Amino acid sequence: MTQHADPVLAATAPAGVASERLEVSDAAVKFEGLAAIDGVSFALQRGDIFGLIGPNGAGKTTLVNVVSGFQHPSRGKVLLDGRDITSWSAHRRGTHGLVRTFQAVRLFRAMTVLENLEVAAVGAGLGRRAAERRAYEILEWMGDAHRALDRADALPYGDERRVGIGRALAMAPRYLLLDEPAAGLGDAECDQLMQLMARVPQDFRCGVLLIEHNMRLIMGVCHRIHVIDSGRTIAEGSPSQIRNDPAVIRAYLGSKSERRRARN
Amino acid sequence: MRVPEGSIERGLRRVWPLVSLSVILTAVVLLSDVLGEPLLKRTIAEALIKLIAVVGIYIFMGNSGVLAFSNATFMMIAAYASAWMTLLPSLKRFSMPGLPGFLIAAHLAPLPALLLAALLTTLVAFLIGAAILRLSGIAASIASFAVLAIGYTVYDNWESVTMGTSSVIGLPMYVNTHVALAWAIVSMGIALLYQVSRLGLALRASREDEAAARAYGVNVYYQRIVAFTLGAFVLGIGGVLQGHFLGILTVEAFYLQLTFITIAMLVVGGQASLTGAVVGVFVVSLVTEVFRQLEKGVQLGDLTAQVPLGAEEVILGIIMLLILIYRPQGLMRGREIPWPFGKSVAATLPTLTRRVAP
Repeated sequence: MTQHADPVLAATAPAGVASERLEVSDAAVKFEGLAAIDGVSFALQRGDIFGLIGPNGAGKTTLVNVVSGFQHPSRGKVLLDGRDITSWSAHRRGTHGLVRTFQAVRLFRAMTVLENLEVAAVGAGLGRRAAERRAYEILEWMGDAHRALDRADALPYGDERRVGIGRALAMAPRYLLLDEPAAGLGDAECDQLMQLMARVPQDFRCGVLLIEHNMRLIMGVCHRIHVIDSGRTIAEGSPSQIRNDPAVIRAYLGSKSERRRARN
Repeated sequence: MRVPEGSIERGLRRVWPLVSLSVILTAVVLLSDVLGEPLLKRTIAEALIKLIAVVGIYIFMGNSGVLAFSNATFMMIAAYASAWMTLLPSLKRFSMPGLPGFLIAAHLAPLPALLLAALLTTLVAFLIGAAILRLSGIAASIASFAVLAIGYTVYDNWESVTMGTSSVIGLPMYVNTHVALAWAIVSMGIALLYQVSRLGLALRASREDEAAARAYGVNVYYQRIVAFTLGAFVLGIGGVLQGHFLGILTVEAFYLQLTFITIAMLVVGGQASLTGAVVGVFVVSLVTEVFRQLEKGVQLGDLTAQVPLGAEEVILGIIMLLILIYRPQGLMRGREIPWPFGKSVAATLPTLTRRVAP
């Protein structure tokens, strides 16, 4: 593979420098007095895969929206490599290397797969030709080059989700926010996605914030995991620490037993 | 520099919609020259002028997906501006005393007047676009309707420079099928260049999904202004040509009827492709012309076939309804004329100048 050395594909700065991190500090969002998230703080190092988990309704998506600029926090800050970007618009964050995917993917449906990625590459500041080349290289990297000219709305579900990630990568992100990338995928597709994701920090020199329900995926690829419940942080640590954390077990088992009770 | 393999075919594929449509339109115009029928020529010239306007609408509406009603206003601004620059000074001194001295004295040739008028329109559109395009899609459409109403009212009452409700006459009538064809090709070229540029790509992405487009670096507001402004330039060309084709200007001619018919053309053909714009103009012009003749009455032997006045509008309305119900993406469904010389997938993919690892 030649991609590692490719200045078009990977940003130039080395990963893992201490100041290179995406930081959320004391973020809170209130909808009509109701707190969706309340005082959440975490930091993601460039080059790491950082997991964000929590039961349904814990506030994960709200947090992603705050980080990506789709939701203004009522309190708190978002810092990109030490710079306060809380007031920045979504497209400005994107052009500065903070890129998200969507739970519902939201591909540009009437456009080709290649064009979907080109839009993002152009959005990151490339010219038309360079954008086309980067888009195609990423499709090759993902093993989807044969789909380049298919219309996005003709893709099978699993491919659609993968292309969604490819589109985000086409912006050459420094920090990539993946909002439930494995939602609705089967085990085989999920394993495939896991392998792909594990290559992202190295090949693209970026940090990944992974929001997921799928524990296999989270435990399989994350270096650190942050757990929230009802809008508040309840734990942070390595996968093995999280697996054995009593507060986490309570949150998950508790919600499960409640669900069981509701069924009976 | 070596030319990557397949790049010439790639380039040709990119401009193919323009090439194919230009060839077809040129053939139609040449055919009308051979037939020499004045009525046919008149219909074709009118249709080509409408086409320029529809292409102007397409640049914004087709790529952004936002409906705008201010199109006829931009045509009007350009048409009157061209009249101010081309009418005889002696005429203007009487009929348009409110014009500034340099405009009364101006007596420009058609081409510079056309370009200046279109540029003035572009400037006005930029200011209007900057004001209204921050609004969300539907609110922007309503605001553009307000622009149409304001433009109409201002020009209808600004007697000293537009002659108000009276007609402006005496415009040099230099527009024939050939002039209209040339400008139609120029307009389609502008639309195509825009469509394949990074600007057009970004705006089309916002048409498909605005939130996703914003997440991937598209400044939707800025991209909409660009297309709105560029579209107004082409609409300006259309307005100027219409004035110099008829030789007469009235404010009324740039109001609801023109607004409706041009948008109908784009919707019927399909607003998401250049070919759709052309097909829409062709179909609607044909239907309009047939019913215009039928309204006058057509002799068939002893019988006179005649339809009641107003049938033309009713039929057009029905056609538009049927298209919206059964083919909401229009006749062309966003497609262009397909490349006829075989499908070589490699030629449509990026030509990668690959570095081979040692």
